Amino acid sequence: MNEKATAIVLRTVEFSETSLVVTLFTREFGKIGALAKGGRRLKGPFESALDLLALCRIVFLRKSSDALDLLTEAKLLRRFRPPGRELLSLYAGYYVAELLGELTDDDDPHPKLFDLANETLGALAAGEPVPRRVLRFELGGLRLLGHLPSLDTCVQCGTRVEAAGRVAFGQLDGGVLCTRCRHGMKQVVSVSAGALRTMTQLADLESQTWHRIEIHPRTLAETRSVLNHYFTNLLGRKPRMHQYLLQR
Amino acid sequence: MPELTQSVTDLIDEFAKLPGIGKKSAERLAYHVLRVHRSEALLLADAIRNVKENVRYCSVCYNLAEEEKCEICRDPRREQDVLCVVEQPRDLMALEQSGTYRGLYHVLLGRIAPLEGIGAEQLTIEALVERVRRREFKEVIMATNPTVEGDGTALHISNLLSEFPVRITRLARGITTGSVLEFANKEVLADALAGRQEF
Repeated sequence: MNEKATAIVLRTVEFSETSLVVTLFTREFGKIGALAKGGRRLKGPFESALDLLALCRIVFLRKSSDALDLLTEAKLLRRFRPPGRELLSLYAGYYVAELLGELTDDDDPHPKLFDLANETLGALAAGEPVPRRVLRFELGGLRLLGHLPSLDTCVQCGTRVEAAGRVAFGQLDGGVLCTRCRHGMKQVVSVSAGALRTMTQLADLESQTWHRIEIHPRTLAETRSVLNHYFTNLLGRKPRMHQYLLQR
Repeated sequence: MPELTQSVTDLIDEFAKLPGIGKKSAERLAYHVLRVHRSEALLLADAIRNVKENVRYCSVCYNLAEEEKCEICRDPRREQDVLCVVEQPRDLMALEQSGTYRGLYHVLLGRIAPLEGIGAEQLTIEALVERVRRREFKEVIMATNPTVEGDGTALHISNLLSEFPVRITRLARGITTGSVLEFANKEVLADALAGRQEF
């Protein structure tokens, strides 16, 4: 059956002389794998649209079995082009692709996550500050996928935890811990109330106030550290792009 | 059910490992080898053996070579102060076939692709920087593929080379000769406008 969708290219792998196997994150169908016959040719139905992080409008043939779908057309809507000579925006774009690829399942649509990823890539290409945009995508994405750590109630007993001073955060448990529950827990770190508030604001997808919040460099570093550990636990390995983003 | 001999089965299995060759094609190739004269079949075997035993990477530019240096690096008639950086030997061959470039090359043997686990240290970037440091090149042309990863690799390299007194350029991009504007996509037109030249 022929389907149409808007898609972000997450991965391309050369297949035979002129074809590509592509992983696409579509707004309508979630993540799909498809064969693009002739996808490496300059001329043809793909017009060189199948480049990493490109936004395209695609037509594809769904396969009923486990086989790859067949991509029959791709029209480029926007190529991802990081601004100037700065590699950080490029690596942040790669990180968006890595998280979409790792945290979503095939054929499981998340239109709001697609919109967030699309908005993030557009903002990175426009030269917006990378650390803040990356945090917004990470936390917004975690919320949309149901993985957001508990930031105001104890992840063990459900008691409300006041964001004051420093609060225990269980990396393995996935959220804050009250004073009673924190004892005996493994991989518990102490997080400032400021970092928790920042994470809460950045994860709030209904509000646009996150644009205006001031993030102190120390709070940013602390939030970054918490999320680095959190994603490592969630994925079962360190995300590949962390080392590239942290070098800069 | 009759079975093929072990030697024929092995040959089919080996052909089937080649890119783009399925089981049926592998069988056809194997039957072709069985049908042709012994000397012709052994020429194929010798060609494969020679490639694997004699071909290596040039110690200077990492192009394919049968001696320590490739033919291009050994040729004194090439312009010695212009260097063209490409991803793969096949890209070098494509540029050579254009017949317009007479300078030297540096083959990266890939592109930086962090999502595939390929970092700068797995390419020949260090050797390239050392080459530019040791020698007086007037110009380094970035001829990596015009993809996000190719451009990213070129940007990484140009940042590394920015400390040297060398002009860094990249291949022009835009409208294909012989095409029409009406059917060019907006990205191509934007590139062509941004890279317009004096008439």
